[in-house]
Amino acid sequence: MEQCLDKQKNRKRLTKGQWELLVFATFGLILLVIFSYLPMTGVLLAFRDGNKALDIVDATFGEGIWTFQNFINVLSDAKFWDVMKNTLGLNLLSLLISFPAPIIFALLLNEVRSKKAKNAFQTIATFPHFISWVIFGGIINALTDTSTGIINPILQLFGLSSPDNPVDLSLSQYFWAKMIIVSLIKNVGWGSIIYSAAIANINPSVYEAAKIDGAGRFRTAVSVTLPLILPTVTTFLLLSIGRILGNSFEQFYVFQNVANLERSEVLATFVYSQAFTYRNYSTAAAISFFEGVVSVILLTLSNKISKKLSGNSLIG
Amino acid sequence: MTKRKIDFAYILVLIILVLTVVITIYPFLYTLVGSFNSGKDFQLGGVWIWPRVWTLDNYKVIVEDPRFWVALRNTVIRTVVGTILSLLVTSLIAYALSHPKLPCKKFFKITAIITMYFSGGIVPFFVLVNAIGLYDNFLVYILPSLYSVYNMIVISKFFKGIDEGIREAARIDGASEFRIWAQIYLPMSIPVMVTVGMWIVVMHWNSYLPTLLYTSKDPSLWTLQYYLMVIIKDATLPDGAVYDTITAQSVSFAGMVLSMLPIALIYPILSKKFNNNTVGTGKD
Repeated sequence: MEQCLDKQKNRKRLTKGQWELLVFATFGLILLVIFSYLPMTGVLLAFRDGNKALDIVDATFGEGIWTFQNFINVLSDAKFWDVMKNTLGLNLLSLLISFPAPIIFALLLNEVRSKKAKNAFQTIATFPHFISWVIFGGIINALTDTSTGIINPILQLFGLSSPDNPVDLSLSQYFWAKMIIVSLIKNVGWGSIIYSAAIANINPSVYEAAKIDGAGRFRTAVSVTLPLILPTVTTFLLLSIGRILGNSFEQFYVFQNVANLERSEVLATFVYSQAFTYRNYSTAAAISFFEGVVSVILLTLSNKISKKLSGNSLIG
Repeated sequence: MTKRKIDFAYILVLIILVLTVVITIYPFLYTLVGSFNSGKDFQLGGVWIWPRVWTLDNYKVIVEDPRFWVALRNTVIRTVVGTILSLLVTSLIAYALSHPKLPCKKFFKITAIITMYFSGGIVPFFVLVNAIGLYDNFLVYILPSLYSVYNMIVISKFFKGIDEGIREAARIDGASEFRIWAQIYLPMSIPVMVTVGMWIVVMHWNSYLPTLLYTSKDPSLWTLQYYLMVIIKDATLPDGAVYDTITAQSVSFAGMVLSMLPIALIYPILSKKFNNNTVGTGKD
């Protein structure tokens, strides 16, 4: 930065206005240094013996040995691999189901002829996105409750449950399915907005051409609309792949209970419980670090592959 | 050109969409109904679309719980103060970073973008919060979210669309950059500020993680979502709740409805914003 300033000064003295701008920009930089860059140095904790330490600042920056023991401990812990199985399983399922769902919703919405109806569908479907996980989780748990919920009576209609022996959806075997469905309800509308916007930007003359060529509506959606919004789709696919080890902590924390822990513990909640329940700060930092490294590698790799295959890429 | 045949495919599309919409909206109807129904009666099941035994007791319990008012006050303060400060700070930084004459622009841009891809994780942030004295401190709600790089980029894009000539004219009149931002750019960017402002409002209103991590020990710092989590997860009634119609569940319904109300009220403006982007240049 100093170098860059020197260069500027040599070329031409900075005006008063430029100094002002520098002050504003530096103010932003200071905020980033405090709340983003300083915490990044906290990954050092992953290489320290800081578990159970009362003063974790000292454990991070103070005297002491540097070690890879935390990583060795984590990677040799069977519990960690159970958690990985949940994380990867759920996120792969979500890549298969939750990722395409908003695209399909946007394509379906695009078929609606009345603008008013289109608006109404989009508006209602997007509403849950703006509701907190605390509330949404509370509602879902009530809906799936064995005595007061509506889900069991609906299952009974299909013969999947009986009044004497209701299905308890808070149990671990239903957890994955529940998370996928809940995420769908909460995010389909919001996720589809970006695709609807991309569809809205398609030149109408393309559709005229397709019509003249005699393409039906389904054909048009699949071979005209879909390829034209592919850059947007690729961008979001890459982002989802980069988050393959990430889950919304706020979502999982709300639905997690002792009965479903076996299937509901994902990396995000595991880090939390390691850090704040067991006070294994270094272990938690090591898991976070591992997750971060994997995400960056995946993001870079998938970005490269996508660039080669389709010319679409996220960065650069 | 008119088709006489019934368009089954189109009907199928409509059915799928209507079903989706019903599934998304029903949970909220269920909660609303439950909040006006006697909790004891609700437990018997079968209260799906209209209250069976009407009562306001659930709301009375919430309104008479002092913790609710403390949490509401904290949430309102953090939302109002947090949103206004964050908008001003983010917009000022966006002004500098979108200004063609900013020295070392690339350096500032890159240092901002890096933070969007890398983060230290939950533990280092916890260390930081402790180190700078934000633990058990109301400011932990405001300061970390003061500046969002994503929002800065959105506002910058808008600023770049403003005619450079206006800025030149103001500078010739001797206005400082701060005055140009405050008196010209800020008023001109109200549309984008409303959009970004509403994202920030929703974020503040719905957040519970900072309370869980940093301020849960001090009930006078609780926020609305954390209060709700306590009454939902613990499933215990507030002290002194003496109504014989209520259950922990029915009371939590009333709490949920009350805290969704502000979001529901601003939602029509919110949805207009994003609908403008998606229709408008549609193919028909």
